[in-house]
Amino acid sequence: MRRALGLFAFLGFTLFLLGAVMSLRPFGEPIHAEMDHYFISHAQAEASANNVVTSVVFDYRGFDTLGEATVLFTAVAGVLMALRRKEVKG
Amino acid sequence: MNFGELFWALQVLIGLGLLISAIAAVRFKNLVSAVIAMAVFSLILSLEFYVLQAPDVAIAEAGVGACLTTAMYLLAIKNTADEEVIG
Amino acid sequence: MTTTIIKTTTRILAPLILVFGAYIILHGHLTPGGGFQGGAVFASGLALLIVACEDRVVKRRFEKVPLSPLESIGALGFLGMALLGLMGYTFFKNVIANSGFIFGGRTPIGINPGFLNTGGTLAYMNIFVGMKVLAGLTSIVLIFFLLLGGKKDEW
Repeated sequence: MRRALGLFAFLGFTLFLLGAVMSLRPFGEPIHAEMDHYFISHAQAEASANNVVTSVVFDYRGFDTLGEATVLFTAVAGVLMALRRKEVKG
Repeated sequence: MNFGELFWALQVLIGLGLLISAIAAVRFKNLVSAVIAMAVFSLILSLEFYVLQAPDVAIAEAGVGACLTTAMYLLAIKNTADEEVIG
Repeated sequence: MTTTIIKTTTRILAPLILVFGAYIILHGHLTPGGGFQGGAVFASGLALLIVACEDRVVKRRFEKVPLSPLESIGALGFLGMALLGLMGYTFFKNVIANSGFIFGGRTPIGINPGFLNTGGTLAYMNIFVGMKVLAGLTSIVLIFFLLLGGKKDEW
């Protein structure tokens, strides 16, 4: 019974994911491209950096990076607090 | 062989490598072997990111997934038993 | 884990990895990569140095390294560079770009070879985030090694 249920779930997920892959857009042709064109044509003048990805990460979408830095800081602080002993100074 | 055929051949090869290394990471009984299989999985995944023209993500995946995670897993396994216990 | 093969490989490979990580951090506004990626590569080089040596060597080597101050300086510096945009603009405004300060040069529009003296706050933020990421990940690996490891050293 459990094997039949597992097989059914496996087949269902496989067919669903295959259908989702079949309906993907082709590589390199997104639907909404207005922001991409704006970034590519204006980032060199506004952020004065050649790497558009870095200017998006640190300038246009800076709050995202702030949240990521907070998550990393919290993770490191949690690990150091859980594993700290007296004689080891991290 | 033009670029499109090479692209798809590389995609199929990378997909097969990902599948094989993921199954190996699940099926290995020795935990050190499973961790090494996970490192191979991360390396092939970073190659896939590089092929899909995202070198940022490829560098992050190769640094964090293939090196630091492997080091942490190995240091954690080092103090416990390195054989999986079937209960 | 401390055989001669691993020690020799580490002696040759670790400086290359550290230089590559520093290059990715410092050239984050010109080439692919940035603060997080360069910090992860630098931390993997330091993890190689940690894992390949004995317990007392690692303790002596990392005794004077200020990892927690580096982490705090990275986080506070990142927030400070973001707060710098509040001088007349909004949060996270790139105020140093095109202003003539250090890293404040002007980038030519179009295809160019890339000049290091550009980027504005992006270069500073790359350096601060890289410092923070390398300190955090290295301290995690170091505390795993010093607290959990060091008892059985036969493999």
